Parts: sequence; structure tokens; C-alpha cells
Amino acid sequence: MKEKQTRRLIGELRSSVDEIDKLLASGKADLTVDFSACTFISVEGLEWLEEMLMRAASLQANVSFVNMPPPIYKVFKVAHIDSILQASGSPPPASTGAAAC
Amino acid sequence: MVGTIKDQDVALSERVNNLVRRARLAAAVFTQYSQEQVDAIVRAMTIAAIDAAQKLALAAHEETRMGLVEDKMLKNLVASEFHYHQIKDKRTVGIIKEFPEDNMVEVAEPVGVILALAPVTNPTSTVIFKSMAAAKTRNSIIFSPHLMAADSSNMTAKILYEAALAAGAPKDFITWVEKSPRLRRETELMMVHPEVDLIFATGGTQMVKAAYSSGKPAIGVGSGNTPVYVHKTAQIASAAMDIIISKTFDNGTECPSEQTLIIDSAIAEPLLEQFKKLGCYVCNLEEVEKVADVAIDPRKGGMNYKLVGQPADTIAAQAGLKVPKGTKVLLCPLQGNLRSHRLAVEKLMPVLGFVTVDSEQEGINRALDINYAGGTGHTAGIFADDDGVIERFSDAINAGRVIVNCPTSIGGLGGVYNNLNTTLVFGCGTGGGNITTDNVGIKNLINYKRVPKRSNFSLTFQTTKNIYINPGSIDNLRNLKTKSAFIVTSASAGRRGHLSAVLERLPGDCRVDVFSGVGVEPDFSTIQKALQQMRQTQPDTVIALGGGSVLDAAKIIRLFYDYPNLRIQEVALNFLDFRHRLAVFPTKMSTQLVAIPTTSGTGSEVTPFAVFKDHETHRKVSLIDECLLPDVAILDANLTKSLPREVTLDTAFDALTHALESLVSTFASDYTDGLALEAMRLIFEALPEVLKNGSSVLWRHKLHNAACLAGMAIGNASVGINHALAHSLGAHYDIAHGRANSVFLLTTLDYNKRIPSKFMSVSSYPLWVADQKYARAAQFLNLVPAQGASNVAVSSNLLSDEQRQAHIKALERAVYDLAEAVGQPKSIAELGIKQEDFAKALPELVRAAFEDMALRTNPRCPLIKEVESLFVHAYPPRQRP
Repeated sequence: MKEKQTRRLIGELRSSVDEIDKLLASGKADLTVDFSACTFISVEGLEWLEEMLMRAASLQANVSFVNMPPPIYKVFKVAHIDSILQASGSPPPASTGAAAC
Repeated sequence: MVGTIKDQDVALSERVNNLVRRARLAAAVFTQYSQEQVDAIVRAMTIAAIDAAQKLALAAHEETRMGLVEDKMLKNLVASEFHYHQIKDKRTVGIIKEFPEDNMVEVAEPVGVILALAPVTNPTSTVIFKSMAAAKTRNSIIFSPHLMAADSSNMTAKILYEAALAAGAPKDFITWVEKSPRLRRETELMMVHPEVDLIFATGGTQMVKAAYSSGKPAIGVGSGNTPVYVHKTAQIASAAMDIIISKTFDNGTECPSEQTLIIDSAIAEPLLEQFKKLGCYVCNLEEVEKVADVAIDPRKGGMNYKLVGQPADTIAAQAGLKVPKGTKVLLCPLQGNLRSHRLAVEKLMPVLGFVTVDSEQEGINRALDINYAGGTGHTAGIFADDDGVIERFSDAINAGRVIVNCPTSIGGLGGVYNNLNTTLVFGCGTGGGNITTDNVGIKNLINYKRVPKRSNFSLTFQTTKNIYINPGSIDNLRNLKTKSAFIVTSASAGRRGHLSAVLERLPGDCRVDVFSGVGVEPDFSTIQKALQQMRQTQPDTVIALGGGSVLDAAKIIRLFYDYPNLRIQEVALNFLDFRHRLAVFPTKMSTQLVAIPTTSGTGSEVTPFAVFKDHETHRKVSLIDECLLPDVAILDANLTKSLPREVTLDTAFDALTHALESLVSTFASDYTDGLALEAMRLIFEALPEVLKNGSSVLWRHKLHNAACLAGMAIGNASVGINHALAHSLGAHYDIAHGRANSVFLLTTLDYNKRIPSKFMSVSSYPLWVADQKYARAAQFLNLVPAQGASNVAVSSNLLSDEQRQAHIKALERAVYDLAEAVGQPKSIAELGIKQEDFAKALPELVRAAFEDMALRTNPRCPLIKEVESLFVHAYPPRQRP
């Protein structure tokens, strides 16, 4: 059973976060990433999140994203990256069967 | 090593996915940018584009061998400097527009990932323009260049992207398809890629068509074929120069450029002379055929793409014409049937057709021939010094831009010769198979989120200005300012002595005419008769003396006397919301209206309503407007002393209905609530006393006041479903209005006290509170709740459900008991209507009630089946609640 760890991202996420990378690499913890103090995500930040989730999956570590401010959650929604949406607890995209009106 | 076709397809697909994914991430990140960040990025891009304008023009010309370097540089500057000037102060982030009067704002949402096509004719300026537009609107953009101009287009994209990136733009928000033999295929794959949100197509017709066929939202352009009408009022010398400037601009590659001139014959000779003088060559008919042979592709009937953007010298040489060196434009007279002439099509080269015409009509029609020969929706031009001609031309021609007294090519670009939005993308509307006729720009790259806030109806309180209320107040007629009065009344006013009481008190020098023909529930023919009589004496005052029917008739008579051109069908038209209704009522009345009620019921002396009966349809018709309000009301209870018991009862129950309905109306306010409650209290108190002693002025006075207060309440809050049912029943069976109201009272109280099956959608009625209002009435009237409920005086909205129901039941019982005590009917059966007749009439009764405007302010939104059920429910004799 892995221990649960939470890490809070503070300010702008523009590149990888060593502390989180190391924590994941240790293979000892499931991770919760708290975005409540995250103010901006760059393309590089998004790419790192996706890549980090891939590594976590290969290590069978659970990663979840919590407390996303709406502008950050919207970035995830618009980016359409499945793994990030899943970690955010976002519902899957709507089916196309809705009526147009 | 050579890969298989399958390998190549996989690689191509990977390239496409990679490009689109990068653009997608950039679009996501861009959503976080502020207006200030975006503006700084666009500024940096503009500087880079201006710096590189010449370099890019040279690159484009070298690669495409089309057009002129000088003009390509000008286009680069228009796309950057002019474009920037137009968009720099525009808001594209957050709230971008406010509509304070509509209580609404618009908020910008980026469109996302844009796939942008760049044409061979403008490979650099288009990329500058679209890159800046994308950045300003926080979109990412992938350029798909034309294969023959890919290097210069991609160079442009790279220069602008690097400048933007340095200014803080998201990585990869501008990307481009690299030049390769499979560039076209790569573009096609992106057009249908699920992560591309919008196709921004400028290019060949086939690519634009492919964009529109992709199933994606697309902004495309259509082909042009610009007709230019040179009217006889045109300034000949400047028109000639403008046309040359335009047709030689980038050697004619601009699609809004002139294709065929339509010249008034009166000025044809001097205009052609001017063209010659300025360096154009006017071909003879034989030469025209030679030019057509090279300029037109015989297989397709369209222009020969090999000559697009080539100078006139080159085209003349290919056609075997000997023209002076440096010839600017080859002018070709198009003789014969213009519609089928080979040169009557788009020619993006300095070859210009012309015809002469003998009239404005012929001029516009020939322009239409060119316009509809492949150029609908695009561009047209006119040179004229006559606004009428310009207007008629603009009205006839189907073009997104009608350029007046300017070169159509540079004029169409916008910002140089006129104030059109600068663009390199010319929307052609449905005429060109497009969604817009705009000079496409940033406004087309935004999703507009409209945020309308709730608009509450502005409630006002209005009533008759002067109300005299004491017994004996009829004496105030002595001071009435009138020289000529027209009295509208009924025959009974004479019998009861009311008419003589009025006549005695009018000023001595006042001429008086009397119309006594208003009976019970008059129709419009009665009003017309009164009007006919009234117009003979030309009075300045109308005095309405009588009950509700007389007062209502007088209101309509005054309205049509002051405004004889009004149409009754329009002013009586039903409406959902009077702010939007079709009828236009006057705002000022010139004839004074004095209302003297002789019954205590309708309160018509203080309401903006007037009802008459349509005897053909057996329905009641309502007019509602502030202009119907009388100027003076005289409430003299002495005039009601001789009122028969039955009329006293009927009218009092009408007033009680007004009070009960206005209290729970969706338009009720604190102002009307107070009036309604006090009216109820006075009726419950005074009516039994009046019935005991009909000549008691004190109690008559109280009842008279009650009716007036209730009238003020409905005058501002209106009535409800009880009136709709009563209007229908009363009109069908000729039942007095108040009596018809009374038979529904218990039924509608029971209906409105329940949580609606359908709520009323009225902005100013945010909460259904009818049950609380009824409970409040019970409290105000000091009615004893049924056993088990607390009688502690608390606000009605703080009562428990059980207490509230007990209060409502007390109110219902009070209404029942009053009717029972005074002998007023409480059910339809008591009116003597046979059940078989009623059952037969029921569908029509329901139809009429459902059309009644009184329903609009009822606290429950009635369903048709509920209206039917209410009629049925109101039929049998009632038990005490």
C-alpha cells in the first residue's frame, strides 16, 4: 500500500517540478496535486503534466489533480488531453447525440 | 531507402496530428491571457511585420513571379500597420462590449485552433493579417500555404511567430505546414481533423469549396468579378487615375480590382482619352479577341492562371499586340452580348473590359450582368457625383462592398481610401457561398458570449390626477374649466336625477350636449354614434356619468375623438407584454375627461382600461393604455344612494374581485397591495351595512371609496383569471360583469392558492407568493383562522404551512359567508344556466377565456385544461370551504 502525498503548485507552472518528479520516481507514493495556488500554466507546463502522468501510470502510481481554479481547469478542458482530464476528475466528453436547436 | 505509400501516409498523419496537437495546447494556454498581454504580443508582431515588409515582398515576388514588389510591400504594410491601427484599441478579452440599456454584456471566447489557408496572390500579406488577427483574439493558427508560395508564406509566419513568442505568446500558437509535394493532402487531412475548430480559407475556389465541405465551421471567400459603373457625373480625370491605380495594383492580383467598366456614353470619349493619356492602351475589336485568346483559358472559360499578376506589356506581347512600352492597362471594348463575352469574367491581371451605356438603367443592368457572372457578393464600384445614383446602384448590386469614387482594389482592402475594416479576406455572403459579407477580421474570430442580466420591469404607479371624494363633491363641476362639454351617459341617469344634477352645476357659459345612448355593455357601434354626435359640437370636455359601461365607453369615445385615424382592430389587439405590443397609443390627449361613477364597482374612473362588447363574437374587447385614464374623477356617494340592491351587490362583488385579484397579480407591488387590502376591508365592512340601509351616505361613501381604491389597484397591477372566466361567461350569457365575477371567486381562490402546475414566466415576478398574499389578507381583515392554527400576528411569509392554509381557508370562508349573507350567487348554476347549455357552450367559453388578457397577470400560468376545469368546478352550487 502506497502512502498518499499532496503537493501544492504555487504560482505559474512553466516547466517540470523536480520535487514531484522525484516523489514519483521513488515509487512510494500516490500523489495529489493541489492547484489552488496555481495562477498560470504554459504549454511546457501542460506537456510536463501529461508526461508526468504517463510516468505515473507506468509506475502504477495514482495521481489526482484537485482544487483547480476555473481558468486552470478551463485550460485542461480546452487542451483535450485525456490523461489530464482523467486526473482532474473531469467527465468524459459529451456524446454527439444531443439535439441541435 | 524508399518508404512505401502506406509508410508515407502514416508519416503524413503523424505530422498532421503533431501540428494540430501543438496548436491545441497553445489555444488552451492562450485562454489565460489578459488583454494587456495580448496587445503587447500584437504590437511586437506588427513591428516585426513592418520591419520585414520589403524582405517579404521580395521573397513573395521571387517565389511566385506574380505582381509587383512595390505593391506587395504596400500590402504587407496595410496588413500590419493599417490593420494594427484598426485593432489596437479593440477589446478582445473578457467583457468586450457593454449594452447598459439592455443590461447585457458581451464576453469574448476564442474560437480555438484555426486552420488558415494562404493564397499564392498574397502569400505574405495574408499571413501577416491572419497571424495578427489570431493573436489579438487568443487563437492558435496553423498556416497551410499555397505550394507555389510556401517558402515566402512560411517565412512570414516564422518572423511573426518569433516576435510574438519573444513578447510572451504561447509556444506553437503559430505553426505552418512545411513545403512538400504532399502539402495539399496534409491540408485536406487537417480540414477534417477533430481538433481543428475553424477553417479560415483564402485561396483558390477549390480550396475554399473544400473548406466549406469539410463539415467544420469555415470563413471563406468567393470569387470576384467587379463591375465599375462610371456615371456621367463622375470626375473623369480622377476616375481614370483611380482605376489605373487599382487595376495595376500588384498587377491586378487583388480580387476586388476592376474587371469591367460600364461607362455612360456621354463621358466615354473623354474618359478613354484620359486613359490613353495616362498610359493605357485601348484595343480594337480584333485585338480584343487576341487578348481574350491568351487571358482566358478556353477549357474552363476562366482566366489563364499563367498570366495572373503579369504586367500589361507581357500580356500584350503574348497576344501579339504592339503596344507602347510601359503600357499600364489593356482596355478591351466588349462588343456584342456582354453576358457571353469571353472577357466578361474575373481577370486578375491588367486587362480591363468596358462597355458604354446610354442611361442609368442600362448602366446598372450591365453592371448586374458582370456582378452575376461569377462575382456575386464580392465587390463593385461606382464613380458618380450623385447620391441618388449611388444609392440605386448599391441597392441593385449584390456585393459585400460597393466602393464609391475610389480604386476598388485598394479601396476594398479598407483603411487607405475609406473607413472599411482592413482585410485581406473579402467575405461574399451567400452570393459567394459564404457566411458573411464582412471585410473579415478579428470580429469573425471570436465566439461572442452574450450575458444578459435579468431585466426587471420598471413598475410605476399611475392614476387619475384629480380625485374628488367627499359626498357632495359633484359641486366641483362648478369650477370645471370648460366651454363646451359632451356628457356621455345612460338613459337611467336622467331617471335617477343624476343628469340634471350635473347640468345644474356646470359653468353657466358652458355649451352642453348629451349622449344618453350607452346601455349595458355597449358595442363599438354605440361609440361611433356618440362620436358622430360629438364631432358636431366640438367639445373640449367629455363628462362620463354612469356605471362602468358608461365610463369605459366615454374613454374610448374621447380616444377616437382626439385621434380619429386610430384603428380599433389595432388598439384592441391582444398582447403579451405592453412594452412590445404592436399598437401605438397617443401620449397626449387634448380633450378633458371627467368621470363621475354612479356605481361602486369597476373603479373605471381611475383605471387605464376600457372594455366594450363585440356582439358578433360574443366576446369582450379590452383597451389598455395610460391615455385612457380620466383627468378628473368625482366620487360623490350621493349619486349611489338610489342604486338598486342587485346592482349594489354585483358592483361590490366586482370591486371585491378587483381587490383579491390585484393582491396576487404578478404586477402587484407594495403600492397596490395596500390599496387592495384596504378595499377588501371596506367592502367586508360596508356592504352589509349598505344593504341594511341603502340610503346611508356614510356606508355608501365607504363602498364608493372601496371601489375606487380597488380600481387604483387593478389600474396598476391588473386582474387575473377570475376576470378572464367572468368576461367569457358574461359575454356569452349576457350576465352583469360583477355577478359573473362573483360566481368564480371561490373557484379561483382555490386555484391560485395552490403551487402552480406551470409558473408564470414574468421577469418582475421572481417568486410565486399567492398563498402568502391570501394569508396576509386574512391577517389584515382580522379573520379568525380555523382551530389549530396560531393566531399570533406574524408576517404571512413566516407562517408555517399549516398556519398559512388555515389563514387562506379563513379568507375563503369570509368570501363565502359574505356572498351567502347578502344573497350573491357563488356558482354558475345559481345564474339559471342549464347544465346542458353550459356543457355545449363550454369549448367556446374556454377558448374566449384563454384569449383574455386578464390571464397575463394571474399568479398561476393557466393551462387550457385547467381553464376548462375551473369552469366545470364553478358550475355546481358551493359548500362552505
